[in-house]
Amino acid sequence: MSRFFYRGGSDSESSSSDEEEDVYQRSEEEEESDEESSEQSDSGSDDSDDSDDEAIAKGGAAAFLKDDSESEEEEEEEKVTVVKSAKDKRLEGLENTIKLIENAQKINDWSVISTEFDNLNRQIVKITQSGPVPKVYVQAVADLEDFVNESVSKQKAANKKMNASQQKGFNAVKQRIKKNNKDYAAQIDKYRADKDAYMESDEEVEKPLPAAPKPTKVEKIENFAAAAAAAAAEDEEFTTVGRGGKTLQYTPESILKHLRVIVESRGKKNTDRLDQIKTMEKLLAVATSPYQRIRVYLTLISTRFDLTSSSANYMSPEQWKSADKEFGSLLSVLEENRNLIVSEGADEWEDDEKQPSIAEGETFYIPGSIVSYIERLDDELTRSLQQIDPHTAEYIERLSDEQQLYNNIVRAQLYVESQNAGEKNDTRQDSVNRVIIRRLEHVYFKPSQVVSILEDATWKALPEKLDSSVTSRKNASDVTNLIQTLCHYLFQNSDGIIRARSMLCQIYFLALHDQYYRSRDLMLMSHLSENISNFDVSTQILFNRTLVQIGLCAFRAGLIYEAQNTLGDICGSGRQKELLAQGIILQRYSTVSPEQERLERQRQLPFHMHINLELLECIYLTSSMFLEVPLMAQTSSAPEMRRRMISKTFRRMLDYNERQVFTGPPENTRDGVIMSAKFLAAGDWKKAASMLSSIKIWDLMPQPEKVKEMLAAQTQEEGLRTYLFTYAPFYDSLSVSSLADMFELPVKKIAAIISRMISHEELAAALDQVNDAIIFRKGVELSRLQSQIVTLADKSMGLLESNEKTLEQRTQGMANAFQREQGPGARGGRGGRGGGGQGRGGARIPGGQHGRRPGGQQFGGGALGGAIKA
Amino acid sequence: MADNAPPSAEKLSGAQPTDITPEYDLLPRLIPYLDRHLVFPLLEFSAGEDDKEITRAKYELLKHTNMTDYVANLWKEINNTDSIPDEFVKKREEVLAKLEHYQVQSEKITELLQDEEVVGNLRSDKAANLRFLEEQHGVTNDMVNSLYDYGRFQYSCGSYGNAAELLYQFRVLSTDNDKVASATWGKLASEILTTNWEGAMEEVQKAKDSIETRLFNNPLAQLTNRSWLIHWSLFPFFNHDPARDVLTDLFFSPAYINTIQTSCPWILRYLAAAVITNRGRPHKHHGAYQKQLKDLIRVVRQEGYEYTDPITDFIKALYVDFDFEEAQRKLSEAEEVLRSDFFLVSAADAFVEAARHLISESYCKIHQRIDIK
Repeated sequence: MSRFFYRGGSDSESSSSDEEEDVYQRSEEEEESDEESSEQSDSGSDDSDDSDDEAIAKGGAAAFLKDDSESEEEEEEEKVTVVKSAKDKRLEGLENTIKLIENAQKINDWSVISTEFDNLNRQIVKITQSGPVPKVYVQAVADLEDFVNESVSKQKAANKKMNASQQKGFNAVKQRIKKNNKDYAAQIDKYRADKDAYMESDEEVEKPLPAAPKPTKVEKIENFAAAAAAAAAEDEEFTTVGRGGKTLQYTPESILKHLRVIVESRGKKNTDRLDQIKTMEKLLAVATSPYQRIRVYLTLISTRFDLTSSSANYMSPEQWKSADKEFGSLLSVLEENRNLIVSEGADEWEDDEKQPSIAEGETFYIPGSIVSYIERLDDELTRSLQQIDPHTAEYIERLSDEQQLYNNIVRAQLYVESQNAGEKNDTRQDSVNRVIIRRLEHVYFKPSQVVSILEDATWKALPEKLDSSVTSRKNASDVTNLIQTLCHYLFQNSDGIIRARSMLCQIYFLALHDQYYRSRDLMLMSHLSENISNFDVSTQILFNRTLVQIGLCAFRAGLIYEAQNTLGDICGSGRQKELLAQGIILQRYSTVSPEQERLERQRQLPFHMHINLELLECIYLTSSMFLEVPLMAQTSSAPEMRRRMISKTFRRMLDYNERQVFTGPPENTRDGVIMSAKFLAAGDWKKAASMLSSIKIWDLMPQPEKVKEMLAAQTQEEGLRTYLFTYAPFYDSLSVSSLADMFELPVKKIAAIISRMISHEELAAALDQVNDAIIFRKGVELSRLQSQIVTLADKSMGLLESNEKTLEQRTQGMANAFQREQGPGARGGRGGRGGGGQGRGGARIPGGQHGRRPGGQQFGGGALGGAIKA
Repeated sequence: MADNAPPSAEKLSGAQPTDITPEYDLLPRLIPYLDRHLVFPLLEFSAGEDDKEITRAKYELLKHTNMTDYVANLWKEINNTDSIPDEFVKKREEVLAKLEHYQVQSEKITELLQDEEVVGNLRSDKAANLRFLEEQHGVTNDMVNSLYDYGRFQYSCGSYGNAAELLYQFRVLSTDNDKVASATWGKLASEILTTNWEGAMEEVQKAKDSIETRLFNNPLAQLTNRSWLIHWSLFPFFNHDPARDVLTDLFFSPAYINTIQTSCPWILRYLAAAVITNRGRPHKHHGAYQKQLKDLIRVVRQEGYEYTDPITDFIKALYVDFDFEEAQRKLSEAEEVLRSDFFLVSAADAFVEAARHLISESYCKIHQRIDIK
């Protein structure tokens, strides 16, 4: 039983109380300080920062901890009375496990071997963290491998099957042991070469200094040799060494080594990144040459990014801010040292011992990517904005960081630009494009006043001597020009998604600034609407946003038809939220997997970029109203046109409103528009206009008064049209001047509207100039009987066609077969009049679809049809 | 050859004649799309009021061409002297020398091509022709190219007839697509300048085809080439009656109407004038005219924010606003504009007549009773 305890005990201890263990371990180390120095874990560097605390806590804490652990253990397990160091305990656990394996080998119990082997490896990870690989372990794995090989050959020879669980365990071990043993190949070879000698040397090696360190760990140990020496020195004379101890530990020479250690631990478990960050901050203080500083900054920033590995979470603001600041200082170092260039494809500097010597005028490349850093910073800010509740002060606070970020984006742009100016190549051009599109995406959706504030602050923050070749400093105040230049640069130098995005950004910006025609023309010329489905989702979202913005712009300009048309695609779908990435609709019976939902959440725009959905809906409904109400009035008398519909959403809402028994005063925007539509339909334009202008949401538009005026004018005009459509059947003539009084429009305007309606054949009427009146022509509209006849004719056409189709199917389209079947066909459905039609139809049908039409038209084209058309 | 934006274009636009309706003068807009030599008749036309300025403009325009004698005369006119500066004399000599040189270079091939027998042996396959000529008569590619250079030079000297002939010969033989396209443009210009309208129409067709096929995947080049073609074909448009229908159809075809809308909306004036004057002409079928008119109204309405002049205003007043008084007013303005427009001057009367027809037609359609007083 005890072995289980040990194993469990050491496990839990190491994982649950890392902190405690550290100190504990340290107290052990002090006893055998020279040996232990090599065995300090990565966290050994910890020493430095809390060296002050350490000095105080040294004696006491160790003693205390010893007591503590002792008492704990006594409580837990009576058996253990001897205090052992954590390391010893682990070793003991290891030995127990090995023993188990050996026992299991004897009885060929592979399932036990398999589980114990797993245990063994888990333990060895812990042990190697704090020291060299124990010899016993090497021995065990080497033996195990031999045993496995032996068993394989045995199995082949005997051709005997193991039972299922055994076989499974055996296979598992077979596979893993090979992989595992590769790591220890050197030691295993040594062991195999001379088993006894190896095991003996074991004892010796473990005791003295790690003068002959294990080959795989060479680097690590070397790295820490300096640190350990420093620590040792510190231990001896801790009363006198203050800050000097640090400078001793982190010398400019050792910076690269420290960095390498950190880089190598990247992506591994159980590395304390916060700790590494602290180390690097100290390294930064001692770094002397620009090269060192650049290297430290590069590693430091990436480590900060590594802190938040899970994609669901966002980087803490503090970390973000320091990363942002460090990025800024990295750029300033780079700006001062133009011969040092950070580039993606550079070779790594292999030699940690010495610094690269850079001759004057020579450029030296350091691996890294400025663009990726700035992109990551940008993404992290967006991510945090996505997750913070937009109605809190926190959001605003976070948003204010955008200025900082924007500064750095511009600065990074200047940097990559200057590199690109020196020597052009594709990757550099690509990085310039990437930075510029980032910059563009921070400004395109903002009103120009806001952007100019942002720009001014940025140029103030940047060092005087920097200037951009693409967007020069003196043009910074002209925002329209800025956007234009940025977009033009991207049109010329990029392709694919970036190009499409830059186009969309420009169009969006133009639409936002009331340049409807330009934005529309650009949208049409870009031909994006044809191939937008080939782009990625976020570009599609941008496309939708741009489309909506153009629609809003058209509405502000009073172009109702265009606005309705443009907005129809997005708003008519009822999925505005989703299409604009401004919220997730949770469908009740959705089949969305968590994965998809997560992606969806990632795509959401931060709140400050949103387009007001309520305003959008209101505008869409209002423009639909201006088009639909006259149309409904027009089609109410002509049933064959009833199917025409401009906005389904609007119709549905109107229907819903009409079905209600009692309708109260409008409570929300939607109700307001619908009410107004009802007044308009009744010809009461004044009430419609006042209802419409009482909707509060117009105040959110840039110039609410102008919009309301436009709406009132539209209401007058459409009211007149609706009135004429609705009441035309009841009038013989109508005085133009009385209409002018009624709608408070000038006579000329009324005449123009009526003329247009007459000319487009919407209204069967004519103007009488002498009497200043409209004369309505009678008998043009279909009577009830006539319209029903038309419907009948349509239906019989349908019947005829389907009948013929069936026939064709039966006879498999064979012409002569059809001829034979003709008789029964005529007898069946159509008698009398149909017979005549059929004679002709029959002759033509073999000619195909085309021939059928004239035969069909006979129904509508008779004497009655002529009368209708007249 | 298709060097359509002469460097002096900017300068020229500054030197505009003071027209009756100067704000509607399209000359500065047209010039960038026309060839140097094509601009000349336009300038000639506007010469009337301010001779000095026009002469200067003409001088600037032709300075770079090889029409040395004429340029020297212009220079004399400008400076009011009789003596000719040396540079003109020198240039004249150079030009003559070059002419000689080109003549010698292309002598052989021109002779060959005048030989009935040789011409009779030519097929439609260019490569085969070249091989045949090379084998039988030792014609090299360089010689063919010299035809092109010579043609170009002739054009520059102002002898357009010769240029057209040479370029035609070149085109028959050459397999160099770029040069052939360029030769087509050159020939088109030559035909226009020699007022050989039928030939010009043929070339317009060829240029159009070459734009469609050769620049298939370069939308920008297509756009510029189409706008050139549109401008160039204005010459036959209003001077050659049979061309009217073809070109109206061409301008209304989707690709060209888009070009007009995007890069040169002022062409709408000519299109509108053409459509309106077409009214009295016999049509293949009745619907065509209505359709043209409808298209025109649509485009005029769409482009209203970008381009307006009395002619498009007239269309707008008549068919969009149904404001007949405004339409009358615009018509009289339009008449003035038409009379001062190089291309439309001949069509002015027909335009006014047709426009009046249209007004009364639409007036009568809407009104039941009209007060004749």
